[in-house]
Amino acid sequence: MTLRRVGVVLIATHLLIAGRTASADSITIWWAQWDPAAALQTLSKEFTEDTGTSVVVHQIPWPSYHDQVFLNFGNKQTDFDIVVGDSQWIGRGAQSGLYLDLTDWLPKAVDMDSVHPLARRYLCEYPYDSGRYYAAPCETDAIGFAYRRDWFEDPEEKEDFRARHNRELAPPDTWQEFREVAAFFHRPEEKQYGCSILAGRGYDGITMGFQPFLWAWGGAWGNRTTYQIKGYVNGTPAIQGLTFMKTLLPFTPPGGNSADYFYNNDVFLNGSTAMVLDYFPFYPGIVNSMGDKVGFFVVPRNGDRRAISLGGQGFSISTKIKSSQQQRAKEFIAWFHKKEIQKKWITYPGAFTANTELLSSKEFVDASPYNHAFAASLDHLRDFWNVPVYNELLAVSQRYLGEALDDVKTPKEALDIIAEEHELIMMQAGLLK
Amino acid sequence: MDKSAQKGRGRAFLSYGFVAPALVVLIAINIFPLLYSIYLSFTNAALIGGELQIIGDLNYRIVFLASKYATALRTSALFVFLAVSTELLLGFFLALALRERMRGKGFLLTTLLVPMMLPQAVMGLYWKLVLNGNYGVLNQFLGILGLGQPQWISDPELKFFSVLVVDVWMWTPFMMLISLAALNSIPSYLYEAAAIDRATPWIRFRRITLPMCAPLLGLAVLFRATDALKQFDLVMALTGPNDGATQTLSALLYQVVFRDGKVGLGAAYSYVVLVVVIALASVFVRYLSSLQQREQTVDA
Repeated sequence: MTLRRVGVVLIATHLLIAGRTASADSITIWWAQWDPAAALQTLSKEFTEDTGTSVVVHQIPWPSYHDQVFLNFGNKQTDFDIVVGDSQWIGRGAQSGLYLDLTDWLPKAVDMDSVHPLARRYLCEYPYDSGRYYAAPCETDAIGFAYRRDWFEDPEEKEDFRARHNRELAPPDTWQEFREVAAFFHRPEEKQYGCSILAGRGYDGITMGFQPFLWAWGGAWGNRTTYQIKGYVNGTPAIQGLTFMKTLLPFTPPGGNSADYFYNNDVFLNGSTAMVLDYFPFYPGIVNSMGDKVGFFVVPRNGDRRAISLGGQGFSISTKIKSSQQQRAKEFIAWFHKKEIQKKWITYPGAFTANTELLSSKEFVDASPYNHAFAASLDHLRDFWNVPVYNELLAVSQRYLGEALDDVKTPKEALDIIAEEHELIMMQAGLLK
Repeated sequence: MDKSAQKGRGRAFLSYGFVAPALVVLIAINIFPLLYSIYLSFTNAALIGGELQIIGDLNYRIVFLASKYATALRTSALFVFLAVSTELLLGFFLALALRERMRGKGFLLTTLLVPMMLPQAVMGLYWKLVLNGNYGVLNQFLGILGLGQPQWISDPELKFFSVLVVDVWMWTPFMMLISLAALNSIPSYLYEAAAIDRATPWIRFRRITLPMCAPLLGLAVLFRATDALKQFDLVMALTGPNDGATQTLSALLYQVVFRDGKVGLGAAYSYVVLVVVIALASVFVRYLSSLQQREQTVDA
């Protein structure tokens, strides 16, 4: 009797171990919760069919995504094999030994000449233009505007606008035109508002929203080589950019002074706002609900300068997993970058490629109403710092840019403090000598 | 060695044996982390990676020099003062009202206690929806009444107030409960004697109700103040941990340790806060003991 029991236990244990071995033949990817992650989960079924390796895309809500990933990196072994990390994380991942160095492998597995140079620069390399790769492109992303095409094409509105401004009502090409159009559509008594820009106080909203103004007015976060900050982020062009950004706040819906990505989605979907700024992968939901009432345009320029906040993410492989898992992760990334797979990838809602050939293809432009604006945005992409202390820099810029928009500080005061604190952080990190 | 000495030693070993498991657990989960975090506060300890190096008092100098640490301390102090005093006043007056026998008292009491029983994080998210400037229930209601549309959680003038109101909503029932217990513990003969002496309601309140309730209310204030000082969930849910207007000590610690990954700096900040809290708490405890002593003297 006892022997039989022991036998049953042994068989059960064997089955359990066998089951575990079978389930170990899988890859776990961590990504934020949004349409592209759902698309990746669906697409990866084909990888499972091809290779027998199952893929689990674990989606984490955006607000806690960053914190959960880096807390998990604190463990001896991560719960994920691949993390689709924000472009800003790459320095921390590379310098702290969290991301696997892909320098030797990536160019052999993926045709890097087919990757858009700015996606390669911001999503894959650390430091910039060093040729050292720590990620492969996954979701190339940018901010862009959604607008109420039906309002813009309304004959009465067009005539009224022409009478007031002596030009045609059209998606704005410059920031000055943008302000005019926002002011034109702003009718708060009818609960209709001109625009909503990015000013969220969460992870990086207001910083991403400020960047197009900073760069288009000729400012910069700092010197990318010497890491000097003062004179760049608090220089006259930067102050002018922030001052202009503030002039758009009177045309936003109530609460627009702290509009985040989700807020902009909401105020557009509820039909109250003429133009909203957001990342392109947030737009499939808007298109689904509003159909041809909605159009999209590229972030406006100031003079001859147009600059757009990059928002893309790359596949990085954790160093804190077994080498066999790292190998599987590499196989998946190589598979994902096959041209036929990329062709399928771009057909999913909110899924964007870095492949230059596909970006300019008719099938990509026709795949969704926002793809044309997205493709036109790529050549103007720029990014925030991606050094290991990016998060401290981000916390400072989020805080004081917010205070500038809230009138707690003037733009100059806010940018002066940002410059002061950013330099201190760079010095403490040993980057600024 | 005689038998009784052996027996005594055996007993001593047995006593130690019984105490040992609890002692080991206490050392492992309380004493060791406490001492280890003192050590960490003098290092560059990071959440992830990096070689641990002793950096002297640099973390403490950063805490004393960077303004955000003092600002968070000020915000927390203001929050504790306003939240606890409002909750105490409201709770006490609610208890006074509910002290009398009335119909539906049980139901009313239970209803009033509901907010206190719900998790703060969940309530924070719930209030975030209620206070949303665009589609929040509160502003919809104000809109129907033809009143303005305040931006409760984005207007810099209102953010702090909003967090405060939610905290008061959650914790006033706690103060009410303690106050009710204190009020019910006052012997009725004191009021009867006061009535014979023709004491006015105000005199009865000032000379009987208040002094008799004071020790228990003091304890409630201590509990609530300790809790309010740690306020994190509501701030996190309503405005986030990096908002200058509402950044409390815990929110800043979260930002420093979990977002910036600076464990050493976070430990130093915690110790500075700990010293401040111990100093304040000891003053308060001394005040409470003096109250109790006074009461005992009166009784005698």
